[in-house]
Amino acid sequence: MNDSRPKIGVYVCHCGINIGSVVDVPAVIEYVKTLPGVEIAREYTYMCSDPGQNLVKDDIRNEGLNRVIVASCSPRMHEPTFRKTLKEAGLNPYFLEMANIREQDSWVHEDHAAATKKAKQLVEAAVAKASVLEALEEKEVDVIPSCLVIGAGIAGIQSALDIADAGYKVYVVEKTPSVGGHMSQLDKTFPTLDCSACILTPKMVDVANHPNIELMTYSQVEEVTGFVGNFKAKIRKRARYVDFDKCTGCGICAENCRLAGKIPSEFDENIGKRGAVYLPFPQAVPAKYTIDPERCLQLSKGKCGKEGPACAEACTAGAINFEQEDEIVEIDCGTIIVATGYDVFDASRKPEYGWTGNDNIITGLEFERLVSASGPTGGKPLLGRDKKGEGGYLPKKVAFIHCVGSRDESVGNEYCSRVCCMYLAKQAHLIRDKLPEAEITVFYMDVRAFGKGFEEFYDRVRREGVQYVRGNPSEIYKKSPDPEDHTVVVKVEDTLTATPMDYECDLVVLGVGLEPRKDVREIIDLFKLSQSTDGFFLEAHPKLRPVDTASDGIFLAGCCQGPKDIPDTVAQAKGAASSALILIASGRVKVEAQVSFVTSSECRGCGFCVEVCPFGAIELVDENRMGNIVQVALVNEALCKGCGSCAAACLSGAIQPRSFKDEQILPQIAVLGVRT
Amino acid sequence: MVDQNKMRDKAREVLEGDDVRRLIGWKRGTYGFEAAPSVLKDASEVDRLIWDPTCVGNLAGFLTLEEKRPVPRGSEPDTRKVAVMVKGCDSRAVVQQLVEKAYDRDKVVVLGIPCTGVIDRRKAEAMFGEQSEPVEVSEKGDKLVVNIGGESKEVDKKDILADKCLRCRFPNPVVSDFMLGEEVPVAGTDEFADVAEFEKMTPEEKWKFWEEQYSKCIRCYSCRNVCPMCYCVECVATKLRPQWTRRSTDISENTAYHIQRAWHLSGRCIECGECQRVCPVDIPIMTLNRRMTRDVKEMFDYEPGLDVEAEPLLSCFNPQDPEDYIM
Amino acid sequence: MSEEFEPNIVAFLCNWCSYAGADLAGTSRMHYLPNIKIIRVMCSGRVNPLFLVNALQQGADGVLISGCHPGDCHYLEGNFFARRRFMLAKKLLEQIGVDPGRVNMSWVSASEGAKFKDVIDETVAKAKAAGPMEQFRRRQINW
Repeated sequence: MNDSRPKIGVYVCHCGINIGSVVDVPAVIEYVKTLPGVEIAREYTYMCSDPGQNLVKDDIRNEGLNRVIVASCSPRMHEPTFRKTLKEAGLNPYFLEMANIREQDSWVHEDHAAATKKAKQLVEAAVAKASVLEALEEKEVDVIPSCLVIGAGIAGIQSALDIADAGYKVYVVEKTPSVGGHMSQLDKTFPTLDCSACILTPKMVDVANHPNIELMTYSQVEEVTGFVGNFKAKIRKRARYVDFDKCTGCGICAENCRLAGKIPSEFDENIGKRGAVYLPFPQAVPAKYTIDPERCLQLSKGKCGKEGPACAEACTAGAINFEQEDEIVEIDCGTIIVATGYDVFDASRKPEYGWTGNDNIITGLEFERLVSASGPTGGKPLLGRDKKGEGGYLPKKVAFIHCVGSRDESVGNEYCSRVCCMYLAKQAHLIRDKLPEAEITVFYMDVRAFGKGFEEFYDRVRREGVQYVRGNPSEIYKKSPDPEDHTVVVKVEDTLTATPMDYECDLVVLGVGLEPRKDVREIIDLFKLSQSTDGFFLEAHPKLRPVDTASDGIFLAGCCQGPKDIPDTVAQAKGAASSALILIASGRVKVEAQVSFVTSSECRGCGFCVEVCPFGAIELVDENRMGNIVQVALVNEALCKGCGSCAAACLSGAIQPRSFKDEQILPQIAVLGVRT
Repeated sequence: MVDQNKMRDKAREVLEGDDVRRLIGWKRGTYGFEAAPSVLKDASEVDRLIWDPTCVGNLAGFLTLEEKRPVPRGSEPDTRKVAVMVKGCDSRAVVQQLVEKAYDRDKVVVLGIPCTGVIDRRKAEAMFGEQSEPVEVSEKGDKLVVNIGGESKEVDKKDILADKCLRCRFPNPVVSDFMLGEEVPVAGTDEFADVAEFEKMTPEEKWKFWEEQYSKCIRCYSCRNVCPMCYCVECVATKLRPQWTRRSTDISENTAYHIQRAWHLSGRCIECGECQRVCPVDIPIMTLNRRMTRDVKEMFDYEPGLDVEAEPLLSCFNPQDPEDYIM
Repeated sequence: MSEEFEPNIVAFLCNWCSYAGADLAGTSRMHYLPNIKIIRVMCSGRVNPLFLVNALQQGADGVLISGCHPGDCHYLEGNFFARRRFMLAKKLLEQIGVDPGRVNMSWVSASEGAKFKDVIDETVAKAKAAGPMEQFRRRQINW
């Protein structure tokens, strides 16, 4: 079809009686026939049906139509349907324009005459726009068959294993020296009381050994560029100062470290101690030692003892290397899964709960380390040990507090952290298990036992003699300054009996909630992610797209998207892996056709569009204007989503979104603005 | 005070460097109360440069209006620097142009002039009539000495200076490579009293005012041409595809044109007032721009043309932006 | 023949929220006045305030922009820019002497069919009170 003059076909649908009983369709047809460019105007009962669509296809083939207007229901309903119709008839699908004369006309206006008049105007506006529509190409880009997983907690591990098992390459980047995340710090998990480390460590080992997985621990992603299917990442592998290949994990260095047992261990929530050269925990994967450059005397002060570093001296494999440097690695991948996890709420932000300075007012995570067999007290809930780690006492009365840092506007966290009711019930059970005679009370606002086996577990815990008292404490404090008196007072009101009380006990466990990671800003800047109001990463749609982000090709898994327990995390991780696999397995991805483009001869390179674009899809590039080098904007069509914010920001109108250009909107205004 | 000889010496020095290709300053006009812009190529030309209250023009406009001619085959474009003399208000235009990436900072040499005010031609002509010979004007304390036909007349500054000078908060250039005089104290404050006064009118009165003014408009586009912030390669006002405003000079198209320009200048107008100065039919163009300047400041705490690192107003947002009228 | 003046409103609705909200009003058969004519854009951030000026020039007695609630924009930030632009444009048109009741904006989400109806009713009422837009309307000459 070489004739570029618009030959428009207009099809007005009756939609049964939905439109036909209100809008005088024949009158609309008569009017439409008078409009410039309209060659054919037909009416039909159901345009979306096969015969309806065939009307369009036949006219395209026989009459040489090159623009199609369907006046019917909302384009949000049938635009894809009619685009297919055009495609099947050999016409570019973007030569379609729809006029909404049902949801926005016949269904909402009682005055039939007015509804008909409006329908005529809406169709006329569609005709005006159709005359300036252009053919658009639906482009596809290749997808590199690999995935970059950021974070190697249970979410990252699960996603990585699924994709690797499917036969594709996975890069896993973990910030700490070992994989495992928070789950490796837990003792037993609710409601099954599975030992966390027992169910996690096989997966940790798999991740390290899988032929398709390249694991980079003690590493961080520094820069990500590119777009779906074609990402490039720069990863910094930090120096461990231990030769990875030589280290056998024997631990003799740590035994001999001059600072052994002197540095608070992050893994043990600062209750346990480590040395400057350390393994975060015994089952760490990879089982390679790391030297903390800020605490190590040799690295921070240049000198360790009179005879030099004891670790280097002791290591029989010669693995200690103080000259080691960070290594920067660049990788290409097709998809990215962000699984960076959470931080627990910092209990010092609720000073009225007395966490700071009292070692028998502890957080839920500190509790996990206390009762963990591999923890600093060997699994006994011993409190008040001296500096050497000796002595201490077992508590006789334990209080658990719900909702610390969650559902609390005063600290800025209005949301519920979802896991605390159950983990506190589990922890109450563990105390009952270890201290059969202890008095255990849980102070709650609500008990949310929503999951599989949760309610049954909660019942069981209460049958074990754990008291549940409904009340939110106002204050928790040490009763007396005497160091021998461990009593802590929980000031609370039992709201069900309206009884205020000063509950005395010798161990308080604060049910701290889950918060976004402290360094969440860095990750957001790397990937242009968004945050929900609660600070966790924003999913593309809360109901239907919980693992996608607004950036195609980047997926979310685990608590970084919102607080959740281990089964939900694993389910979401598998979902993210599946979403990534769709892209990887198909090998190609379609990019939006109605994207923006720049008429560079009109562009003055001011960069307004670059700053406005929510997806970072525009950049300034050099252009040679008759010998002079100037800067103009250029749109990356794979990143552009066609929102058009750039066009409204451009003072020259040099950048326009296809199908919604100024020259396609102004004719519509010209028609619809006229008072009839 | 600016020593004329020192000013010329500096200009000579700048032009003698082989990294500067042009210097833009002011020279004596051919008639009346306004100096003319002058583009110098060579250090020998500096004697024509002047600085006095007739130097009304905002020379920053030339930095972007300079045409880039096609480069002949085989030769390289001349990318040497351009030097420009700017008063306080003019320097804000330079800053705003830098914010908008119109050129690189190291491609322009800014010669800053601390300014004590320039003449409003219309006020001078009302006092002394139109003059066919160029008029020499000099400062004498808080008076100006106007030399017309050999006679010297003294006038109070507040009666003859431009309105913008009487409320000027930035007499000293906010950006410069060299300052050509001592800094002067800030003489004015700006409470936007003129905007508040106009606001008292009812919508009907306001429209009557503009209808009268815009009926005069001949769409010469002088306001656009002189504005330092109007430098688009393709201007929507005159674009034909799509056509936003028709070429006819009826009230509808004229109003649309002026609204268009005021809209494009919101958050960018640095209030040099050149548009109003050059309008051949005396339309008070600044009345529209001043309202936007005040509202931009009040609503978004933003003033263009002061901070090179600032983001353009409409390229950023604050999640707490006002939304009083939104349903 | 003196008929009551019926204003003509041109509305720009964003595809993901407001246009969907308008569709919902339709599906729920909520009735509102036919004075409003809708132009679909992908995002309220697409709306150049000069569209509003153009609409008034073409003869519209009122204009409306409607988008997703701040924070919910399908394209993340478009409606924040739209908000800033609208607030400034309203001031500009006020300065010209355009009745403020002619220039409107609203946040309507995809589930707010009822709110959409209310928004329309209010917009039409305001435009009606402002009267026919004559100020800088293009005059069509019938030769």
